[in-house]
Amino acid sequence: MLTDREVLSTFEMLRNEHLDVRTITLGISIFDCASDDLSRFKQNIHDKISRLAQNLIGTCEDVALKYGIPIVNKRIAVSPVAVAACPFSAPQMVEVARTLDDIAREIGIDFIGGFSALVEKGMTRGDRALIEAIPQALTETGRVCASINVASTHAGINMDAVMLMGRTIKRAAALTADADGIACAKLCVFANIPQDIPFMAGAYLGVGEPDAVINVGVSGPGVVKKAIDRARAMNPRLDLGALSEIIKRTAFKVTRVGEIIGRQVADKLGVPFGVVDLSLAPTPNVGDSVGEIFQSLGLQSIGVPGSTALLAMLNDAVKKGGAFASSHVGGLSGAFIPVSEDLNIAEAARSGHLSLEKLEALTSVCSVGLDMVALPGDISETTLAAIIADEMAIGVVNKKTTATRLIPVPGKKAGEKAFFGGLLGEATIIHVANNGGSQELMSLGGRIPAPIQSLVN
Amino acid sequence: MRKIIVAVLGDDRPGIVAAVSKALFDYQCNIEDVSQTILQTEFAGIFIVSMPPGMSHDELREGLEGRLSPEGLAVYVKEMRPVESRVAPETEPFVITTVGPDRLGLVAGITGLLAEYKINITQLKAAFRGGDDPRRNIMIYEVDIPVAIDHHAFRAALYARGRELGLDVSLQHTDIFRQIHRI
Repeated sequence: MLTDREVLSTFEMLRNEHLDVRTITLGISIFDCASDDLSRFKQNIHDKISRLAQNLIGTCEDVALKYGIPIVNKRIAVSPVAVAACPFSAPQMVEVARTLDDIAREIGIDFIGGFSALVEKGMTRGDRALIEAIPQALTETGRVCASINVASTHAGINMDAVMLMGRTIKRAAALTADADGIACAKLCVFANIPQDIPFMAGAYLGVGEPDAVINVGVSGPGVVKKAIDRARAMNPRLDLGALSEIIKRTAFKVTRVGEIIGRQVADKLGVPFGVVDLSLAPTPNVGDSVGEIFQSLGLQSIGVPGSTALLAMLNDAVKKGGAFASSHVGGLSGAFIPVSEDLNIAEAARSGHLSLEKLEALTSVCSVGLDMVALPGDISETTLAAIIADEMAIGVVNKKTTATRLIPVPGKKAGEKAFFGGLLGEATIIHVANNGGSQELMSLGGRIPAPIQSLVN
Repeated sequence: MRKIIVAVLGDDRPGIVAAVSKALFDYQCNIEDVSQTILQTEFAGIFIVSMPPGMSHDELREGLEGRLSPEGLAVYVKEMRPVESRVAPETEPFVITTVGPDRLGLVAGITGLLAEYKINITQLKAAFRGGDDPRRNIMIYEVDIPVAIDHHAFRAALYARGRELGLDVSLQHTDIFRQIHRI
């Protein structure tokens, strides 16, 4: 027998607080599709992905209906294409991307991840070809997502790759200038990329993963915010220790939802269940914002002094609650602060409360990094690369994942708006101080050695 | 040994269960199962007891009435019939929640549909009786839905019935509530 509170609080979370499963991502290995013949490779990946994913959407919808929990996104992540398609040239890589796009369209999913390469210590022929293909591939396709890991705690930072990504991002922006550089919204540059991220644009299936696997991304910023608001309304004297306990309990509930839904989908599809990614993932909707939590906890806006301390507490409480709720936790697991995808954070960038420098500071205590940040179109390749290098250093030294999803918006300046549409949202272009001041450092190249923190054996 | 069901109703106050159980003890009836609830100001208790050999059903009823009626308690005594052995259909537990303004026929409307689909109600509760907002009357039905029925058709029929009655209806597997709230 259930108690009234159990039923009513769940009902409330669903109806008024945006409780949902943000994404169910089917990871599919495409290593067994390898061939040196492009047509055969394309046919192989088409056959395998279509076979394994044909019931993905129907199954997710059935499970969502049974439990009354919406599954917002259904997606696919494949093995890094740079490895599986290593023999191919850049133009051939573009063809692979087009094939992935076609498959995604046929299956009916909005994003497919894995147009990826891991180059933290150096590059193979396939890695080079894939990175060269990225601007064209992300321009010609709408659903393919790319990610490049350029740094790790164990390898250091591949500064040649960082520089190359600065150039690649600028080129991708230029090719999609008429859509505010949207190609860059589908491209992440990582340090310490996890092998099992369910969230786009960073999702790919790592080499240590099974042939197929279901990973789940939970969400719940709205649920956390409402729980804080309720608690503070009932007792205005609650201190931060008590409030972090409330966040923890709420994260527990949200994660349990992801766990049960993910396991059910995996069972029905006949593939193993991988991980729950405990991330507070916002969407550009009122009431589904990480930024609003900052205001609920007493800050004028995300970005004002106190924001880093608050985010550190929030991130930690989410992890503690979530880790207890799930048998396997993975992926990024932390709060996301994607500027354009969160109405409140986008507003903080517009009003000037949130600067690029403060965003960078925030990323030292959360999971993702400089995510969906619109930058002036005239930013130089080297400044772009230097921003990436700084972000990578935070991840490498702190033994954590960091990433950038930077969008230099062609023809637009700081203060103007960039429009990406749908889930990607819109954002005010953020000011970049000292554009051009990193030229000489970035020209040195090479690899920044792995930090002493890597010597743990 | 014969089993008897004893149901007791009356204004709630301390001492009702003590009075009933003392009377049963005096008649050498063993309480095998018991459940009680309080609805607004009313007490309702149901006892399953085994009677000693030689005692008749009427004897027990008259005895209990004699002891409990003066205390303002209504007593109903009934012999428990052995359940026919039949294979119960396989079911899954779901929770139906309805939210909406109170009016005549809401429960009849929902439960009529449940009966049509041979869905058994295991718990039914009015969780919130309006309070400040009379539009937000909430009913919680815990039900066992036979696996064999057409779930899509039932769900569609339930939502349609909800619309006719002006109710916001949800239907969710019970596991989701247990998972979220219990360790």
